[in-house]
Amino acid sequence: MDRRTFLKIVGMGSVSLAASCSPPDKTLYSLVQAPDDMVTGKASWYASTCRECPAGCGILAKNREGRVVKVEGNPLHPINKGKLCMRGQAALQGIYNPDRIKTPLLKEKDGWRPVSFSEAEALLQRKATHAAKTGPGKIGMLTEIVGETLLKLFTESLAHWKSQRPMIFEPFAYESLKTANQKVFGIEGMVSYRLEDADVLLSLGADFLDTWLSPVEYAWKFKAMHALNNGKKGVFIHVSPYQSLTGANADQWLACNPGSEAAVAFGLIREILKLGRASRLPRALRFKIENTARFYTREKVSELSGIPPNLYEQLIHRLIRADTPLILGTGTGATGPNTLQSNIAVNYLNLLLDSKLSLFNFDERHRIGLAAIRSEVLEFFKNLDKNSVELLLLNNVNPVYALPSGSGIRKALERDSLFVVAFSSFMDETAELADLVFPARLPLEAWDEYGGKNGVVSTLQPAMGRLTGAPHLGDVFLRAAFGQNGPTDNYKTYLVSGLVAKGRIKDDRSWIRTIQRGGVFEPWAPASQKRRSIPQSAPRSMNKLSDPFTSGLSFIALPSIRFFDGRGANRPWLCEVPDPVSRVAWQTPVLVHPKTAEMHGLRQEDVVRIQSQWGQLHAPVYITESIIAGTLAMAFGQGHTSYGRYAKGVGVNPGDILTADLESISGGPLFAVGEVTVSKSGRVMKLARMYGSRTQQGRKFALSVSLAELNKGKSTEKSGLTMEDFPITLPLRAGYDKKRDFYPPVDYENYRWSMVVDLDKCIGCAACSAACYAENNIGIVGEDRVIDGREMTWLSVERYLDPQQGEKITFLPMLCQHCTNAPCESVCPVYAPHHSKEGINNQIYNRCIGTRFCSQNCPYKVRRFNWFSWNWPKPMNLQLNPDVTVRSKGVMEKCSFCIQRIKAAHTHAKNEKRAIRDGEVIPACVQTCPTSALTFGNLKDDNSRISKLAQTPRAYQIMGYLNTKPAVIYLKKVRQEI
Amino acid sequence: MGIQTLRRNISPILLTLGSLFFVAVFIYFFYTSPATQIGPEQPIPFSHAVHSGVKQIQCRFCHPYVDYSNHPGLPPVEKCLYCHKYIIANHPWIKKEHMYFNTNTPTPWVEINYVAEHVLFNHQRHIRSDIVCEQCHGRVETRHRLDKKIWRMGICYECHKAKGANLDCWLACHS
Repeated sequence: MDRRTFLKIVGMGSVSLAASCSPPDKTLYSLVQAPDDMVTGKASWYASTCRECPAGCGILAKNREGRVVKVEGNPLHPINKGKLCMRGQAALQGIYNPDRIKTPLLKEKDGWRPVSFSEAEALLQRKATHAAKTGPGKIGMLTEIVGETLLKLFTESLAHWKSQRPMIFEPFAYESLKTANQKVFGIEGMVSYRLEDADVLLSLGADFLDTWLSPVEYAWKFKAMHALNNGKKGVFIHVSPYQSLTGANADQWLACNPGSEAAVAFGLIREILKLGRASRLPRALRFKIENTARFYTREKVSELSGIPPNLYEQLIHRLIRADTPLILGTGTGATGPNTLQSNIAVNYLNLLLDSKLSLFNFDERHRIGLAAIRSEVLEFFKNLDKNSVELLLLNNVNPVYALPSGSGIRKALERDSLFVVAFSSFMDETAELADLVFPARLPLEAWDEYGGKNGVVSTLQPAMGRLTGAPHLGDVFLRAAFGQNGPTDNYKTYLVSGLVAKGRIKDDRSWIRTIQRGGVFEPWAPASQKRRSIPQSAPRSMNKLSDPFTSGLSFIALPSIRFFDGRGANRPWLCEVPDPVSRVAWQTPVLVHPKTAEMHGLRQEDVVRIQSQWGQLHAPVYITESIIAGTLAMAFGQGHTSYGRYAKGVGVNPGDILTADLESISGGPLFAVGEVTVSKSGRVMKLARMYGSRTQQGRKFALSVSLAELNKGKSTEKSGLTMEDFPITLPLRAGYDKKRDFYPPVDYENYRWSMVVDLDKCIGCAACSAACYAENNIGIVGEDRVIDGREMTWLSVERYLDPQQGEKITFLPMLCQHCTNAPCESVCPVYAPHHSKEGINNQIYNRCIGTRFCSQNCPYKVRRFNWFSWNWPKPMNLQLNPDVTVRSKGVMEKCSFCIQRIKAAHTHAKNEKRAIRDGEVIPACVQTCPTSALTFGNLKDDNSRISKLAQTPRAYQIMGYLNTKPAVIYLKKVRQEI
Repeated sequence: MGIQTLRRNISPILLTLGSLFFVAVFIYFFYTSPATQIGPEQPIPFSHAVHSGVKQIQCRFCHPYVDYSNHPGLPPVEKCLYCHKYIIANHPWIKKEHMYFNTNTPTPWVEINYVAEHVLFNHQRHIRSDIVCEQCHGRVETRHRLDKKIWRMGICYECHKAKGANLDCWLACHS
């Protein structure tokens, strides 16, 4: 280098150094007009209703500076009582999804052309008016299930256009359950159940903790009957070919062949009838039932179902001895032939056991009962061509994905003379085939009403500023159908006047009170809802049982707790939180029993080709005891060919090999097929699994105790130093023992924050984990990084299988234990983990230099290292909690016990010059837990709930024998034999 | 080296000294002169000296959330116009303010108080502990344009220590 070049470079270098020293100025935008309910730095909460599934849970949306950053359950709401599942938590990722369509798209020869909302509305109006002029029935509409008001508006608009009322399409419409209710009880729709009052609960596949009817509601009701109460707890037995989360929570899961549930139900009817308990039934009916049931002797049932005779015997005894038994029918999907017969038999069984049906609530029916049965939906698509329908309106439905390819939906939508408008905010498989994609406002941005059950009015209100210019769908219909002469000039007025007319609210003032509470929750039952008397004759379909799948391989598509019917697949939280039972994230493995795997020479992670008469698919093998031998199963919801970056090409769609045929009587879809073949493809695919070991390897993490042992109540005082006899050591001054402790005792100031996790109440649903992602700005790492073991989750619901009986599962929420003798603190060279005066193990991000010593030394493996700076593609960054630092590359992070909430409680208490009350600090995980398995509080306060729980005989600490003195106290799971 | 050599090279030497002098003057005026301490230019030259000093408007009129939120709050555009609809309504800068209001544009004020992103400063705690605004922000009523200030941990720490306030990491400032 010559002198001149050197000087040039030095000169340029110093100039750029001088210029770069001061960071560019940032801008603070002031509002133009300040809304009354917005204080910067403080959250405003708006009550609304969750629309992620048909259950209709009440939610509170937390708004900070105009954007929703978190949703939580509404404690006043009768359905979910303040709790929420992970799909509800992930509603935010619908609004802030980077693939959300912002303006209407019109299909032209060379692709999509963005058009303005007014243009799109004008086009819609033109098409509709033209179709209405051509003749009656030229406009068809398929909608997801919506509230009564919106449905009424759709119906009125379509009537104005001389067309039929809209068809309500839900992929999971419980056809067989509905038909069985109609045939046995003579009612239309879906009964709700008083699960909480049962003492013995038997489910023939109803996965009420995953997706069935109203999972959050049934989760809290289930724990009301199943939690330990005065030394007693209810019994829950699950009979199903596969172990869903619900089956994993049963006292006994009885694996049965797909389609043999009906045999079990009739077998039980036979046993009950033998006892002569059916005197209240009409004789003819009784005779008919008896006639069908008498074939199902104990041997026959065992043979058909594959349930071992001794277990079946025990099941019978439990049921006979029960005071208030309740039997639930089949699951969200149909697991084989005979689902209708199963549900009919279940209804009769309930009738025999309790002629008053006191655990059935015929008034508060689930709204999903309004959904059309599958045969009507297929008929609807067939008629599009036959009636030469000109305009098809699709409201937020994705039949192209949800229905098997043989259903002919694609062909029906592609017809040239049909103009298809998809009111969809995402480019999914169905929207791709539409001629106009019209994104309407999403539920958290809109006024509306949706009652998940009869008698409940649950309101929706805009909880945030609008991200797009999308109008409300109701307004679009009011304008397009009625123009200037509509019943009201906007949908909100339509909504309020409708509720006033129905007598649910009095006037505008009571409307304000209603939206503040989230709805009208007072019991209200119109007279017409009363149950009619039970039909005297038994349905003829009852005794037409076909054989269950016993020979060859069968295949079941399972409704997924994470993706429901597939609508959740574009929410990255739901992809990243692993399936609770298989603990696999992002992917869709096929579940194979070890025996089946052995028979076909399959190994874990082999990619196999599964072929049925209707198609084929490729998927990695996951070997598990959670399924009966001879059956393969796969979760529904992934494998989209479109639907945004998080869904497209991720996982596999089991619908590819399902049949388009329907169950002949109920008209419901078949989610199971027989006679599939499986062959190895030769490829291997690493599973994105989030577990180190399936079992506890003989160590003591997730403990359980049998009910009998617990009731004996003989717990000896422990005082040793080994895993077996180390005493429970509370993370307080009292836990200091000169003989055991190396470090000096710690005195905490006023508070010692601590959590109690009741493993007996935990159902493993991972709602806590999703809530944690939402609250604490945790990065989404994606499939490859999960395979590397670099997931960032702060709270992971671990799953441990019993080494002898792989179907006995214990769930263990694992989070930072905030130890008093924290191993992480003592190894950090820069003191980044800091022990707080209130017992919390702080991680000081800006101090951390990323040595990862702490993670190495943490026995609980709850510390997560940021190997990358995670990005939140716009506008997902708007969801970030402003009270929590976004961590960057090279920094260690972990659970903080939601320190931001503790600080908020401190501020509140200091302002009122008092101490923080018990229950005032509620971390995100504790808040959302559907079964209230988590309790948080101050261990220094002897009267706090957690202090009392920590004294109970079930309390233990995980790896307490390391003398870490963890602040998370676990309560042992209580096992009982059936 | 004698006087001869010096004399012979007088012009290059003077030139060097001269340039050194100019560089020094430039550096002084560019970086350290008092005139550079006036803070960044704002979209509207709002003067704290006029509003807070001459007109004696209370801080909380414009920063109303200071005693019940983390953030003190910035005045919305409409608040400026409460008065300026009548007072010097036709001044060019006030016309700009009207333009912001009429076109529904938020005013892009330039930030002057910088706190690291991993720190959450809680205004209400300080105000309620009887720390007056001036203690940290100085006498804003004497300044037309406020200085840019990057807040460092030292000042927090010193004060917290002196007053016996919370010195816990997460419970105090970080989270």
